[in-house]
Amino acid sequence: MAFVLWVLAISVLAAQQTPPAATSPAGSGGLNRTPAAPTGPAPRLPNGHVDLSGVWQGGGPVGNIADGLAKGETLPIRPEYQKIMDGRNAKDDPEANCLPTGVPRRDPYPWRVLQTPTHTFLLFEGNIHSYRQIFMDGRTHPADLDPTWYGHSVGHWEGDTLVVDSVGFNDKFWFDFRGTPHTEKLHTVERYTRSNMGTLGIETTIDDPGAYTKPFKVTFTARLRPGEELMEYICNENNGYVHHITGSAKEF
Amino acid sequence: MRVIAAVVASVAVLMVMSRPVIAHHSFAAEYDANKPVTLKGTVSKVEWMNPHARFYVDVKDEKGAVTNWNLELASPNVLVRNGWTRNSLKVGDEVTVEGSRAKDGSNMANARAVKLADGRRVFAGSSGGDAPPPAQK
Repeated sequence: MAFVLWVLAISVLAAQQTPPAATSPAGSGGLNRTPAAPTGPAPRLPNGHVDLSGVWQGGGPVGNIADGLAKGETLPIRPEYQKIMDGRNAKDDPEANCLPTGVPRRDPYPWRVLQTPTHTFLLFEGNIHSYRQIFMDGRTHPADLDPTWYGHSVGHWEGDTLVVDSVGFNDKFWFDFRGTPHTEKLHTVERYTRSNMGTLGIETTIDDPGAYTKPFKVTFTARLRPGEELMEYICNENNGYVHHITGSAKEF
Repeated sequence: MRVIAAVVASVAVLMVMSRPVIAHHSFAAEYDANKPVTLKGTVSKVEWMNPHARFYVDVKDEKGAVTNWNLELASPNVLVRNGWTRNSLKVGDEVTVEGSRAKDGSNMANARAVKLADGRRVFAGSSGGDAPPPAQK
């Protein structure tokens, strides 16, 4: 009986892991016409960990990082950084200028998770057409890092949650269209939990004693895009109109 | 009174939620939703490139003077996913475009709706990425 149940469970799982029939991205529908994301249990890798692979959309701030705060909370931003934020113009958003979003910001384009035994890669369609690499081999952060757009990321599993710890960020990227700032002291801890087949919750603790008086948490949810593939997105190709953006970042 | 406040709040929430955020830059900082513009003319060029597809339209005024307008769409990726192709709009097509003008006053606008001379709608979505798919045949 137990064996029958086991076989049944495996076949159900296998059925859920079978990707839906791929649709050609060109001319035969797209994001708005893909079927609703499936809701069965999250699939697992042969090693027992949750399989996060797939093409996802969302999962981070786009317009306003404060949207991810718990109800009633406000950003614990230091007054001098509030001033920096208030003075920002939308045309200066590095992301509008085809530079990376950094962490935890997302662009409204799909992205793919790719897990290998040693690394987890987040492949971004846009913006920009880039990737994050998360070391899964147990290493720690080097002592002296050159500040970079995506920082240095190491990951480990806590139960069914992938925990990604990142430091070594530059202070150039904005957290959102509004121009929410940070400093090179930024340290993020992202917790990726695939609560079911179609849902990936990402809770990020932002600890930046440079720009904020205390750490804070933001939570965003990514949705699976069954049958979707990443497309090429070269932002630099035709971005010659940023100077027409005249408004304050606050107007986003 | 409380009901009115609740309705106002709900409308405000809906407005915030419906903000177009598919673009890779802030929409409201570039275009003025309060400056709608309708342009009728001939497509002079189509740029099917990221981060935004663009097309240019020659618009003739009453005196015959021609102004070339620069019109921004969503990214080709968004348009393709919604069923449009790089051939959906061609140089020489007669179009009517509804959009919002750029805040800097230049002859630039986002294109919210594009109609061909025969009434068919093309792209029918703004650089905010809310383009619905083409009509099913």
